[in-house]
Amino acid sequence: MDYLYDGTFEGLLTCIYYHYKKENADGIYLLSEYQQTILNNYLTVDTDIEEARTVSNAIINKISNEAYIYIFYCYLSDLKYKENIILDFLIFAFKYGKQTMNFYTHEKVLPLNEAYSRVAKEVHRFLGILRFSDAGGLLYSKFSPDNDIVLLLADHFADRYKYEKFIIYDEKRKKGLIYADNSWEIKENISIDNIETSQNEKIIQSLWKQYFTELAIKERINNNLQFQFVPARYRKNMAEFK
Amino acid sequence: MNDSIFEKLRILSDAAKYDVSCVSSGVERKNNSVDGIGNASAAGICHAWSADGRCISLLKILLTNDCIYDCNYCLNRVTNPIKRASFTPEEVAELTIQFYRRNYIEGLFLSSAIEKSPDNTMENILRVLELLRYKYNFWGYVHVKVIPGANNMLIQKTGMLADRMSVNIELPTKDSLRLLAPQKRIENIVRPMSLINNEITRTIEDKKHFGNTPRFVPGGQSTQMIIGATPDSDKTILSASQGLYDSYRMKRVFFSAYIPVISSPNLPAVSTMPPLLREHRLYQADWLMRFYYFHSNELFTEIEHNLDLEFDPKMMYALRNIDKFPIEINSASYEELLRIPGLGVTSAQRIVRERKNAELSYDSLKKMKTVLKRAKYFITVKGKYYGNINMEPNLIREELRLREAQKQLSIFELT
Repeated sequence: MDYLYDGTFEGLLTCIYYHYKKENADGIYLLSEYQQTILNNYLTVDTDIEEARTVSNAIINKISNEAYIYIFYCYLSDLKYKENIILDFLIFAFKYGKQTMNFYTHEKVLPLNEAYSRVAKEVHRFLGILRFSDAGGLLYSKFSPDNDIVLLLADHFADRYKYEKFIIYDEKRKKGLIYADNSWEIKENISIDNIETSQNEKIIQSLWKQYFTELAIKERINNNLQFQFVPARYRKNMAEFK
Repeated sequence: MNDSIFEKLRILSDAAKYDVSCVSSGVERKNNSVDGIGNASAAGICHAWSADGRCISLLKILLTNDCIYDCNYCLNRVTNPIKRASFTPEEVAELTIQFYRRNYIEGLFLSSAIEKSPDNTMENILRVLELLRYKYNFWGYVHVKVIPGANNMLIQKTGMLADRMSVNIELPTKDSLRLLAPQKRIENIVRPMSLINNEITRTIEDKKHFGNTPRFVPGGQSTQMIIGATPDSDKTILSASQGLYDSYRMKRVFFSAYIPVISSPNLPAVSTMPPLLREHRLYQADWLMRFYYFHSNELFTEIEHNLDLEFDPKMMYALRNIDKFPIEINSASYEELLRIPGLGVTSAQRIVRERKNAELSYDSLKKMKTVLKRAKYFITVKGKYYGNINMEPNLIREELRLREAQKQLSIFELT
């Protein structure tokens, strides 16, 4: 049976619940992207918070907290078939138990590890290369990450800019993290037009750009290395490359 | 902010850019103050990469480049006719905050030429810290240079507010220092280093008894040496580093390949290329000393006092000590694994963790992305040797050269 879910993490966990309590899953797919054929049996799963919680508790208690975090990161990745990486991993891990995560290179575990690294690396990268501009006291940032990581940036910036108000807008997924007064929320399906840049903001940006440009030591120019660290796709939202 | 800020920033960042240290690591701190801005992350965060591929983590500037000293190798020496500029402490604090709010930087790295007197300059540096910590309530990372010759009280006060402090040793021997920086006295470099070390020890001890004691430079101290300006060997340089790590508990010793900018009878000619590969090898060796349990003595022989430029220092160690190999992946200790060329800390940790569940195969090493093209000559996996040639240093050397040549060739054919 192919199970189809609504794109939420709880929806995905509900499908895992169905796999164990109802009929074995052949695969789990996103409802909006599923290609149905005559040969496949499929079922659209209604997300159920209680059933999802049963599964997440089982992951934490029978496998480990680390495994739960890895699964969540994998879910946020942009990998095709990430749902089936998670399904395959869990089928193996519920049999093997608490030591599963020691198996770094096992064929059922390695894809999950790789998905985790992919997301974690991008998160770490954006802690550094995310750029804000001051729009009349509000800090505004726009980015287009490969993976759906805006949620994973929340705690870091909420602590760093605790007494500021800020928005981090994922222009690819049209969702934003909105922070003010010690709390934040994620808003889906929003669109933010370009915010006008004040004179003062322009001065700070050009100071930064000047600093950035002149810091490079001419005798040691190495553009390839710079591209490895900051791939071209990330550059459009960074003040120093504008 | 007016036009003169652009000019000041241009002059004072240009003068600071040859300082290598830009790390923001070693301190984990949440934003706990009322109305404060900023925190620090133990792993450090890089914010940008300049066109030379170096990471920018901190706003790295001089407070002033107006210097009373006349050090031979230094652009800012008093006899060099260059443009001079000085920031006010307020300007530095404001610039730091404005850059920090936009997530351009992780904090500030403030250094300075010596204007008027060492004490006067140190006071201005302290003033910047006081403004940042108390007026702006800034709790991001701050690294400041200690001005050699400044009085202990000022250094002590500054260290209570900074995350890291550094005194540049500049050169590995007294003789080299006398030759190139005749006005800098070794005592003036060593004294603040021991002061910092003692203060760190004292506040760590105090913390055991009184919970709330603030830490003196929680990110520790670091220093920097110039490479290639004097004839000192790599062995001299690394034994000096080892001494600094052992006696002053340095967090880092940085190396800076000397870029000839000034003609002087005591210095390499201006046309000399900066010794970048040598600098790279020294960093590799430094890494071996800090994370791989190597002692600097193990990296040299009676006759060879410089690191090899063709092969990395760990490979050279293995080739010289071939009797200690091959190492069995499934039974070697963590420290032994770290001695295998091509095997890093991440791979060694993965190996130790995974073999708890089951014996490792050669294939699983591949999946861990271990660099087997170097490691395979020095290991066995379940007793089997995968090197394909006899384990003799000369054969391994030839094999590695051949692989390298093939790689070069295939790159050549593609382009």
